[in-house]
Amino acid sequence: MIIPFASITGTETTIPDAVRIRHLVITNLSYKTGGDDSASLGSALKMLTKYKFLAGSFTGGLIFEKDQGEKFFSPGTMSPDFISANIAYTGKGLVRRVILGDYSVRFGQGLNLNTGISTGLSLTSQGYMSATNEIKPYTSTDENIFFRGIATQLAIKNADISLFCSRNNIDATIGTENGNSGDYIGSFYKSGSHNTLSLLQKRDAVSESVYGINLSYNFRIISIGIAWSENRFSLPAMPDYNTPEKIFSFRGRTNNVASFYYTSLIKKILLFGEVSANDIKKHAIVQGMSFRPSDRLIINFQYWKYAPGYTSFHGKGPGGSSGSYSEQSLLGNFTFEAARHLFIRGGCYIQHFPWLKYRCSSPSTGVKRELGFKYMPGEKLVFDWLYSYRYSMADNSTTAGIPALKKTISRSLKMVSRYSVYNNLTLGTRIDYKIIDPSGSKGVQLLQDISFRPENVPVTFWLRYCIFRTDDWDSRIYSWENDLLYTYSIPAMYGKGSRFYIMAGWKISGKAELRFKYGVLSESETTGLITDTEEFRLQLKIFI
Amino acid sequence: MKQLSSLLKISVSLIFLFLQMTASGGIPYGIQAGAGEAGMGYACVVKEGFWSSFHNQALLPFNNTAQFAVNYENRFGIKELGTSTAGAIIPVGKASVGAVYSHFGYTDFKRDIAGLACGVKLSEKIAAGVQIDYFTERTSGEYNTHRFVSFEAGLIAMPADNIRVGCHLFNPLPNSLRKNNQPVSLSVGAGIDLSNILFAGAEAEMSSGSNLTLRTGFEYEAVKNLRLRAGFSTRNNSFCFGTGYEIGFVTMDLGFTTHDRLGVTSSVSFIFKIK
Repeated sequence: MIIPFASITGTETTIPDAVRIRHLVITNLSYKTGGDDSASLGSALKMLTKYKFLAGSFTGGLIFEKDQGEKFFSPGTMSPDFISANIAYTGKGLVRRVILGDYSVRFGQGLNLNTGISTGLSLTSQGYMSATNEIKPYTSTDENIFFRGIATQLAIKNADISLFCSRNNIDATIGTENGNSGDYIGSFYKSGSHNTLSLLQKRDAVSESVYGINLSYNFRIISIGIAWSENRFSLPAMPDYNTPEKIFSFRGRTNNVASFYYTSLIKKILLFGEVSANDIKKHAIVQGMSFRPSDRLIINFQYWKYAPGYTSFHGKGPGGSSGSYSEQSLLGNFTFEAARHLFIRGGCYIQHFPWLKYRCSSPSTGVKRELGFKYMPGEKLVFDWLYSYRYSMADNSTTAGIPALKKTISRSLKMVSRYSVYNNLTLGTRIDYKIIDPSGSKGVQLLQDISFRPENVPVTFWLRYCIFRTDDWDSRIYSWENDLLYTYSIPAMYGKGSRFYIMAGWKISGKAELRFKYGVLSESETTGLITDTEEFRLQLKIFI
Repeated sequence: MKQLSSLLKISVSLIFLFLQMTASGGIPYGIQAGAGEAGMGYACVVKEGFWSSFHNQALLPFNNTAQFAVNYENRFGIKELGTSTAGAIIPVGKASVGAVYSHFGYTDFKRDIAGLACGVKLSEKIAAGVQIDYFTERTSGEYNTHRFVSFEAGLIAMPADNIRVGCHLFNPLPNSLRKNNQPVSLSVGAGIDLSNILFAGAEAEMSSGSNLTLRTGFEYEAVKNLRLRAGFSTRNNSFCFGTGYEIGFVTMDLGFTTHDRLGVTSSVSFIFKIK
């Protein structure tokens, strides 16, 4: 709750005459069987290398990436499919930060500018306020959301000023109107995969220029800020207006967005919000509250609305990308320590979509509810139960004409227990059960985790065996998996089958770490045959 | 002759159908043995005992004396569906080794399973075990004999003196290695000695392609050396009960498991302690 008001600074230390330079290199290699598609331009191997150096107040980074099926070198160039680099200066005086190269930006609640990764909303999170304003070197591998240029952050007493300017090539589908190629942007392409000729044509098809400014000031009990940004594309965006879903989509070359945001702590109530509007006077609002009436109870509310026609290409407010589609939502939750070692949490998230969206040919609504219990009788034993309810709407493709909306209710129960036998040995068991109405399809999963670190050997092992059975895709079950450092894996299990993985992490003399993961997904076909999809991942991290 | 061949195919198909309908909900292709375990609905992934040690090999080192045993399961009262099993366990220091053999079937269809197992106490709180299995299925007529090798393994942890949690994995080899379509099975459970005379256990089991099965059961020593058992398994809504009596070096157990459509399966086993 107080994180936005807290600043952590290091103690003053004597700067050595010669600044020590430290280097961090991470290389990932991933391969999955069955990924050798003949239509792909390159190999099924996925490669990622990240390099970062730290030298006093200066840092720098370089990223190379090749996705599955892509060629390592882009045709016609000698550069990898994705390359990103930056150099940054971080200071303590007037100039707090200067970045040259690729960077990301976040201001306020993110309605106007937020190029970070969205992890989705957890209904039982202990708070929803966005973290502090920042510009920072880009370290992710999304190939389209970042800025490329120069950015600076200045601070004068309680005031903070950020300026940035970017010009980057982004992916898009280019359309023709009068027979000439490259007339307009039909749609933006965001997946970053360029493994076929048609996808390669979308690569860096449009130039995007973005510049903006953010001013913020900390008063005694309130912090306020304003942000402005402008996007300019080299070609006009002309979405297909014959598709009703796209009537409110952005049209033109230029998009201006201005926003005002605030954060205030009044006794035990934390208030935060942002209001934003673009140059066609369409607006977006976020208002949140976090209330802590006692040490054992936290209550949160958050409301947001994205009006039809509001667009922010680099914004990411709660609930998804700002302006991808119009939305009006209310979310509330609580966390309560009901008794010693017993925690109860619950949340409700109501969504209303006043206009059409993907797979919804009419205005629609959605509801999510969760209720969870966590019991920790000791430091080594945890029981966690979570009941989830989800109501959603989607087109019923079986009806003629404009599809009527099909209402689907999903109920699921997740039971997790975790027992640390010793400090170096942990057992985890999870059972999932899911049922879908009105189809009646069901999903069930049983999984066992073991993590083990042998004494006197700097190697840790993670094992999982999981068996699942679901009637269809709707009753699929997601399972978070341990993975390589700085990556994540949450595969969806559906059909009948099993999933196994083993991962080993070897810490080599405190300066390097090697991780290897081998996984197998066995799925039963309708013919009764079993097919295996194997996955190999290797990571080397060096820090010197 | 053609009619006879068709009848044979039908009878073999029915046998395969029955094989999927295990009486209590155990691993469909694993060794189902132990009248004591049957009486508790096979909720035995953490329960000490001779036959339990072949349901979870991590229980093997809890057998302190050398033993051998025989078991007969009469499934639904149909002699063609009967299973005979014999096994032996020999303690070796902190470890125990075991061997088990099971025969199912009749002239036209036979399934034999042989297993060699080893379990060891890794520490005061941890025990683990593994078993190598060899399966043979023989069918008369034009059908081939089917053989394959697989393995199963288990782990037991003891959070407290009277509580055990454990898991057991059957046939976990990837399809590319095992070259057969036999299901994989995972069992996870916990058990508690509520007193010196009362044990209760519960577990969840899932086999690939099947639904989750929940099982629970208890064993109560009503008078000295006389044990009463009962249990329930959600697969086929199976209620189970049984009894056991120990005389000197011999333990005799009886177990009964119900099936919601096919009737009752009875089991009897004798366990002999060698020293």
